[in-house]
Amino acid sequence: MANNTANNTHSQLIYLDGHATTPLDARVLNAMLPYLTEQFGNSSSQSHRYGWEAAAAVKQARQVLSNAIGASSDDPSEIIFTSGATEANNLALKGIAEAYFQKGRHLITLQTEHSAVLEPCRYLERLGFEVTYLPVQPDGLLDIHLLAEAIRPETVLVSVMAANSEIGVLQPLGEIGALCRERGVLFHTDAAQAIGKIPLDVQAMSIDLMSLTAHKLYGPKGVGALYVRRRPRVQLAAQLHGGGQEQGLRSGTLATHQIVGFARAVELADSPEEQEGLAHQRQLRDRLWSALAPLGGIHLNGHPTQRLPGSLNVSVEGVDGAALLLSLRSQVAVSSGSACGSGKTAPSHVLLALGRDRALAAASLRFCVGRFNTEAEIDQVIDQISVTIRALRLGDFKPREIKPKQD
Amino acid sequence: MQIYLDYSATTPCRPEAIAAMQEVLTQGWGNPSSLHEWGSRSAYRVEQARWEVAQLINAPTESIVFTSGGTESNNLALQGVARTFTAPQHLIISAVEHSAITKTAAMLERQGWQVTQLPVDGAGRIDPKTLEAALQSNTALVSIIYGQSEVGTLQPIEALGHLAQQAGALFHTDAVQAVGRVPIDVGRLPIDLLSMSAHKLYGPQGVGALYVKPGLALRPLMGGGGQEQGLRSGTQPVAMIAGFGAAAVCALAEIDHEPPRLVKLRDRLLDQLQSCPTLKLTGDPHHRLPHHASFCLQLSNISSNAPPISGRTLVKQMNLAGIGISAGSACNSGKIQPSPTLTAMGYTPHLAQAGIRITVGQQTTEADIDWTVTALQQAIALLTDAQ
Ligand SMILES: Cc1ncc(COP(=O)(O)O)c(C=O)c1O
Ligand SMILES: Cc1ncc(COP(=O)(O)O)c(C=O)c1O
Repeated sequence: MANNTANNTHSQLIYLDGHATTPLDARVLNAMLPYLTEQFGNSSSQSHRYGWEAAAAVKQARQVLSNAIGASSDDPSEIIFTSGATEANNLALKGIAEAYFQKGRHLITLQTEHSAVLEPCRYLERLGFEVTYLPVQPDGLLDIHLLAEAIRPETVLVSVMAANSEIGVLQPLGEIGALCRERGVLFHTDAAQAIGKIPLDVQAMSIDLMSLTAHKLYGPKGVGALYVRRRPRVQLAAQLHGGGQEQGLRSGTLATHQIVGFARAVELADSPEEQEGLAHQRQLRDRLWSALAPLGGIHLNGHPTQRLPGSLNVSVEGVDGAALLLSLRSQVAVSSGSACGSGKTAPSHVLLALGRDRALAAASLRFCVGRFNTEAEIDQVIDQISVTIRALRLGDFKPREIKPKQD
Repeated sequence: MQIYLDYSATTPCRPEAIAAMQEVLTQGWGNPSSLHEWGSRSAYRVEQARWEVAQLINAPTESIVFTSGGTESNNLALQGVARTFTAPQHLIISAVEHSAITKTAAMLERQGWQVTQLPVDGAGRIDPKTLEAALQSNTALVSIIYGQSEVGTLQPIEALGHLAQQAGALFHTDAVQAVGRVPIDVGRLPIDLLSMSAHKLYGPQGVGALYVKPGLALRPLMGGGGQEQGLRSGTQPVAMIAGFGAAAVCALAEIDHEPPRLVKLRDRLLDQLQSCPTLKLTGDPHHRLPHHASFCLQLSNISSNAPPISGRTLVKQMNLAGIGISAGSACNSGKIQPSPTLTAMGYTPHLAQAGIRITVGQQTTEADIDWTVTALQQAIALLTDAQ
């Protein structure tokens, strides 16, 4: 396991919020640094060594990503680098809607998608597109029959996330892909949480577009990618216009150091060492659940096994959600839902879609056991949470301020 | 020996920026939207950098929206203003804009917008009178490049901005090449929107900002978590933003002495090349970015049917000598085409392929300049002989 000093800064605070973001792996940083210093060229500069070096690094990174998701090895131009998964999702949804405007104006997605899918959908609705937001089953999984029924002749795109950012549930990508292929509809998946943690294969799973981001995978924030199938070729309308980088699909000077860091993070995640690490994270996650469940009145959110290895999301009966978070604040970095820009504290739309009532949805904790967590940390968290929940249920813990601080 | 003289294409990250980034990457990597301690530390770091970037152009802190770079800032300015209207309006740009403006304007044109391109003179300058004549009652936005990337010409931004605003239009300027190289005060200048990019001022690639005058209505390009006051969703790249902030602090601290040093170096180059009959200065000799020299390669005594030597040929020759310069702006087209900028300035198609750009920066020394002049003369002699 890589040596990581990150957790020392807040030694008392244990980080279990890897769905929001992950620490940068020191090995990723080492890969990035040369591209900030000596090899700083603009990869579009075609007339000198500085530019060529940057271009070569980008090319190699593209190949790494391409290999990692089973894209065609001879055409790494299927990888479009972006500033993250938000941009990749926006590009996929709006870019497809615009390019296939003549074919149809209907899209299908899930109620449990990330806001970076739901918001572009709402934008498209305002432009006159129709979007079906499919419900999920109580375990968070899509019922494939519902999808089969929802596809219409004018449907152009189905967008279903690979792994949910709040409950970690893994959708049956292969089945969805096969159905979409059979019905002649394009299939996009937001794999921001999934890359490096579950096998992704765009060929076997018939995926036409896939959004990725580096910062959930011990890589840097601010870089991601959109996979866009070439054969058969998926049309896409660019959303950022300019110098024509990324085959015209995404203009803007490429951030070489970021791209190199992204590829290194993916490479590390796929290494045998880190794949074994995932099994360890799963064990720790299960240890956490086994210790919390006996407290009683604790509900597991999402499918019991079809989840990301480190993910655990629970709703706690008989406690106030805000009080729970507030009382854990100084000990464990967890969240009750997805981190988003507004700092809002409304109950999670994902948990509501699973059928949880508002009180339970509000009293939820989202954990992600990650690469740098230790068994000792998990045991400490188990103690702290158990004590806190018991105290809150007895009414012993009465924080003066009920709302968590909004940053 | 290697000499980098392409500081308009990108600049190396300065140590202060790298230090700021490294600190965030190793110690402050929380998601700024997270409500816990890791998150609030990151959020605080983002706000610190927002203040630092704002200071550089004397803007209120909350007017800075972080983006993925100059290209996105330009797109956000144009598309973001356009999306506040229900029906297409009129947009004015110049004939010497960066492709991030011209391509976005072309996209708006396809959506029904009327787009006017203001002409420039032989030095690449816009006469404010042409803007005055072009303004219409439905002109929603005027977007003019502050300092031109290929020929270095500075525009009369103050006069242009006043005219636009008096006519009720918003005024945007792509100041990607100018920020950090010329003092810019949006508190004083008639500017509503201004694009910046960190990697042109010794910050990292992949981060930029758009100044949005407080109170101005703008629509986002990307939907999602609602970061950046809803104007730019996506997890903020805290490290790059911190690097941008650190670079901005340094640029502001140096604004009184570094640009004059660059002017000296640049003028040393111009002086030594003045006697070179084949390199003619392009752009405006007076209204010019301090670090910027650009030329048109004019081989006078060649037979008229010999193929013209393109700027790119000379640039490649210079690379063999270990000197990195460019032929126009770094963009992605593989083909040699007449530069739209030089064409707009009245150069013939042949000459519009013969531009070269030499841009100096932090690491450039007098010795670099002298050696570059020698290498240029040798390269030109070689190419002339080969004809
Ligand atoms: C499933 C999912 N999609 C998209 C995003 C947005 O990614 P980024 O932060 O790279 O914009 C996230 C994380 O924030 C996510 O979890
Ligand atoms: C004038 C101008 N505008 C915009 C850009 C694009 O900025 P970025 O490379 O950050 O996307 C550049 C540089 O390439 C530029 O010189």
